Amino acid sequence: MTAGRYGFLLGLPLMVLCQRQVDARLGRWGAWQQALYFWSGEQVKRLTPGFENLMADLYWLRTVQYFGAERLFSTDKRFELLEPLIEITTTLDPRLEVAYRYGAIFLCEPWPVGKGDPEAGIKVLEKGARNLPRSWRLRQDLGYFRYLFLRDAAGGAQVLLEAAKLPGAPFWLETLAGTILARGGERQSSRLVWQRMYEQAEAGILRENARYNLQRLDALDAIDALNAAAKRFAEQQGRPPREARELMAFGLDPRLLKDPTGVPFEYDPARQGFWFSKSSGMWRSS
Amino acid sequence: MGSSRLTRVLAVAANTHRETVRERVLYNLVFFAILMTLSGLLVGDLSVQQDEKIVKDIGLAAMDVFGTLIAIFIGVGLVSKEIERRSLHPLLAKPLGRGEFLLGKFAGLGFTLLVNVAAMSAGLLLTLLATRGRADLGLLKAVYALFLGLLLAVALALLFSTLTSSVMAAICTTCVVVAGRFSDVIHNMKQVAPGVPGWFVHALYYGVPNFRVFDLKNPVVYGDPVGWDVLGWLTLTALAWLSVLIGCAMLAFRTRDLQ
Repeated sequence: MTAGRYGFLLGLPLMVLCQRQVDARLGRWGAWQQALYFWSGEQVKRLTPGFENLMADLYWLRTVQYFGAERLFSTDKRFELLEPLIEITTTLDPRLEVAYRYGAIFLCEPWPVGKGDPEAGIKVLEKGARNLPRSWRLRQDLGYFRYLFLRDAAGGAQVLLEAAKLPGAPFWLETLAGTILARGGERQSSRLVWQRMYEQAEAGILRENARYNLQRLDALDAIDALNAAAKRFAEQQGRPPREARELMAFGLDPRLLKDPTGVPFEYDPARQGFWFSKSSGMWRSS
Repeated sequence: MGSSRLTRVLAVAANTHRETVRERVLYNLVFFAILMTLSGLLVGDLSVQQDEKIVKDIGLAAMDVFGTLIAIFIGVGLVSKEIERRSLHPLLAKPLGRGEFLLGKFAGLGFTLLVNVAAMSAGLLLTLLATRGRADLGLLKAVYALFLGLLLAVALALLFSTLTSSVMAAICTTCVVVAGRFSDVIHNMKQVAPGVPGWFVHALYYGVPNFRVFDLKNPVVYGDPVGWDVLGWLTLTALAWLSVLIGCAMLAFRTRDLQ
């Protein structure tokens, strides 16, 4: 009894001490190394007859958790398992529309917000459109994403016109397709697309992502104004501005000096203009 | 079947139901099934916009998995335990036929499974009602088909338990149930192994109960129409298989030397 008590009293602090030592050597997330044991949805499907839907749910959960964990906790944010996880999920349950829609967003958004692989995201949506030919939402997303991420106005508009013919599709899809086709590369038509996505999406990741992109477009407008002022500044002073505050003398609205996350824009000599600060949540690789 | 024969069968069934309800393994399995259904709530919250589907998928899968485990692991003990404990001899000394005894055993465990499946379905529907404000009664079509599959598993377990020990019966029943879930693989066997004779593939395909056909989980979760004709044919298929399996079990049990 006494030995047990001593063992307990000695073991308790030792337990904490040992865990701290292990954490110091392996890192706090040492046990969270990500691995995929099956790389094909067909394999998982074969092994779980009758429970494909349940497995699809579990893989979808894992996809969402993996994406969230990489985005929030990982330092290198490689997202390398994202594509196979989405492929397995959609093979197990080809009717899981949400996996195509969110999966495409996760893949298409530029790094570090997403994987920055729009081709892979478009492939996911194309697979979805094949498996769910009556889903106008998937075709609408396919059209949007072709336009927004691949800058393919003609292809995007064509898919939107196809989506408009499906039952339940909103009446304005055809008009939107026309606008994209007519004003392909303009920021205003991108804003229109993101605005439609924002209005249509339910509260959650899709809506937040659309809101984020709308704010980013506003920020790009602000950067244009800053750069115009910077050009005038350089003509007068014979040197580019070192920081945005120097441009205040040109009557610039002070609200334009910061991006929507509150981080000031920085002068980027490589771009010869102002751009998002790397410490801002708005900064992206492209 | 005369009324006195039916009374005897029902008496065995009632006794079997009481016995199975006392089994600790039953409560363990039902506990895990309820736990799994409730975990759907938590898991659904972790997902994106799929909470209702996940609750349905997990609830139906729990019924399927744990129902099958109950059917196999309690089913294999129905006859073999009575033989091993030698409690069968005084029973058969009474005016009770071996066939009546088997039918009673089958009906007893079948009723226990019906009660379990009904309780789990009620739990699932209440969970959906509490979280989504509506209970999807269309799920009951999948539950019915699933119950037919469970009855087939009980009949298989009963057949094997008349032929061999509990352990062997559990292994054999599990193998056939798993093979029945891979019936599409059996059907397409020639694509993988072209040398296998066609008659063998056909015999295997029709000789192993096709458990895949009793799986309506996917269509009901997505709200696809499942016609009454489909349920009717599934019922007839199950009845045909049950009559064959229980008939074989009766034959085997009738000729078995119990000394």
